[in-house]
Amino acid sequence: MKRVLLGFIKKEFAQTLRDPVMRVFIFVAPIIQMCVFGFAINTDFRNINFAVIASPADYTARQLSEKIFATGWFNKIESVNGDPMAILQNGKADAVLVMPVEGIDKGIARGGASMQLLVDAQNATKARIVDAYIQSIAAKFFTDKYGIADTGGKVRFDVRVLYNPALETSFFMIPAIIALIMCLVTIMLTSMSIAREKELGTFESIIASPLSNLEIILGKTVPFTIIGLADAAFIMTAGMLIFGVPVRGSFILLLLAALIFVCATVSIGTLISTIAKNQQQAMMGTFMFLFPAMMMSGLFFPIENMPIFIRWVAYIDPFKYYINLIRNVMLKGNIPELYWTNIAVLFLMTVTTVLIAARRFRQTLN
Amino acid sequence: MKLSRMLAMAKKEVMHILRDPFTIIMSIGFPIILVIYFGFAIDFDFRGVKLAVYDSDNTRQSRELANVFFSSGYFKLEKGMYPEKMTKEIELEKDFGTIIIPPGFGRKIASRKESAVQILVDGTDNQKTSIVGRYIGSMQKAVASRFSDAAPQSPVDIRVRYLYNPELNTQWFIVPGLIVVVIGLLGIFMTALTVSKEWENGSMELLLSTPVKPLEIILGKIIPYVAISLAGSSLVYLIARLVFGVPFVGSHFLLICAVLIYIVASLAQGILISVTLRQQNKATQAALILGILPSLLLSGLIFPIESMPMFFRGVASILPARWFMIIIRGLFLKGSTFTELSLPFSMLVLLSLIPIIIASKKFKRDLEQ
Repeated sequence: MKRVLLGFIKKEFAQTLRDPVMRVFIFVAPIIQMCVFGFAINTDFRNINFAVIASPADYTARQLSEKIFATGWFNKIESVNGDPMAILQNGKADAVLVMPVEGIDKGIARGGASMQLLVDAQNATKARIVDAYIQSIAAKFFTDKYGIADTGGKVRFDVRVLYNPALETSFFMIPAIIALIMCLVTIMLTSMSIAREKELGTFESIIASPLSNLEIILGKTVPFTIIGLADAAFIMTAGMLIFGVPVRGSFILLLLAALIFVCATVSIGTLISTIAKNQQQAMMGTFMFLFPAMMMSGLFFPIENMPIFIRWVAYIDPFKYYINLIRNVMLKGNIPELYWTNIAVLFLMTVTTVLIAARRFRQTLN
Repeated sequence: MKLSRMLAMAKKEVMHILRDPFTIIMSIGFPIILVIYFGFAIDFDFRGVKLAVYDSDNTRQSRELANVFFSSGYFKLEKGMYPEKMTKEIELEKDFGTIIIPPGFGRKIASRKESAVQILVDGTDNQKTSIVGRYIGSMQKAVASRFSDAAPQSPVDIRVRYLYNPELNTQWFIVPGLIVVVIGLLGIFMTALTVSKEWENGSMELLLSTPVKPLEIILGKIIPYVAISLAGSSLVYLIARLVFGVPFVGSHFLLICAVLIYIVASLAQGILISVTLRQQNKATQAALILGILPSLLLSGLIFPIESMPMFFRGVASILPARWFMIIIRGLFLKGSTFTELSLPFSMLVLLSLIPIIIASKKFKRDLEQ
């Protein structure tokens, strides 16, 4: 039995890895994805296109405008004929600060100047942030300039961010990418490989061969489990080298978790393949699982704020637990309480999916 | 080229689609799930972030400070026992952060001196941390006005006017943008496999031996998917307008033009993958990578493109998704005119032409071999 099984596994490996394009997908594409997630994605708002409209004689306004642009958050946009709406409407500016026509100093002399900040509020979050930036810069500027005395005791907040003090996006993203790519590669490869055999009719000949059911299942899943694990280790190493993401906890615990997770994803792939009749269906099935799983994992959006019925979906999302686990081991170190809770949940999910998948698969075989 | 042959080809493809429940579920179900998810689930506002307070001062002022945090609604306070335990609570994700009020805080405030309060926050979830950081920043102002006799009054006040989305509704921003995702994903996914399937199953040779011309095959294969993508995007449009009440102030004619161009562009990308890779398992991988990444991450749907490093801003600019996103948002909320959108429109057309031209060239060359 051993030799036949080994031969079968070897065949699967060869079929998957002999193709250069496939090798690119398994090993190069993850690096590209990692770079996109690690470098490009950012929820900060920088390079805000900003225009200041002031009368040329207004010295104070010019000083304030210099202060604003000196922060580096804003790109200076020139207004056309002093019309704020035109540059907002054609999208050249995200916000425009319109100073009083008479000049700020004159306004203050008359009992209080007021200026208007027009913000393109399509993106509500961005609009709020622009507003807050400008208000705080202006407040500081006027306090300094006119020496408004502080009347009260000041409280200085000394905020210290633990585990990721510089708030590096990559520290936060790489753990998620590892999970995402493992999932993508293993589910897709497993479901497509079986669906392909079905579509081409070669699946019949495998069934007709002297392999036992268990051997077929193992032969179809072991190779992808190994590829998934290899990919995980590969991405983790790349993440450490390219982004300097720390691994503060134990590598062995990470591998154990990866093994459990990969077993779950491979059996989900198998499950999809038992439902799908051809490769196209297998792909769509993969996508229908992967997309919600990714969205509910808390990778992009906080789960805490979601409505209850959506949050329930998040609770059965293996992604959520696995990402949380990797993140904790990488950034916080070994914390047994968290690690073993996550492992327990993942293990339970894995056992369930493996059992269901094995049963369904046996049914297809018979 | 003959219309009847092309239509026959399209009819065959329609039958393929109808026979396959997966495709139908995907084309109707996916847009609905997507809109519900993004429309209801995404909320970058955190309420009730758990902070522990370690108050070693225990004066009226220190309690007042804690109260300012609590009454903002952003935070839920807990009494902490001693500092070591509280760091442990953060580690175990029981608390998000800790406020440590030093002894002598009240005395310093009363004597108008500056006093520092240390706040430790969990940094494992970047997004949450930066949002909570912003909340803490906004607390600063509230605290200052609480502890000073008269809040420092600036002689200049800045009045803010939020244009295009005066109520600062995040859904108005996100939901219309989903049209981009729906078309991009459906288009690429569905077409990525249609040609490779025929190659793999050997039916392509059969098709080619018939009098149907290559261009007719491609167009015939595209037409049904244009209809499906159009239906998907109309669905998103209707949900956006009816369920989420997103206003539409632009021109519908421009919207339809842009949608059609973008549909053709993403179908052409799918066909290009299909023609190039010829095998379904490879085409799938490519479709997933080329489908998800651009339309979800590099289109500006959620993550601001302007904040990306130079290189990725460049990459985003050569993706049609990015330009289509600008057009959609401009039309929905701003009522942009064609002249205002001339740059995005011309980029969209230009970038859409590239995959179409390459795909048909490549397909033709493959056939001649």
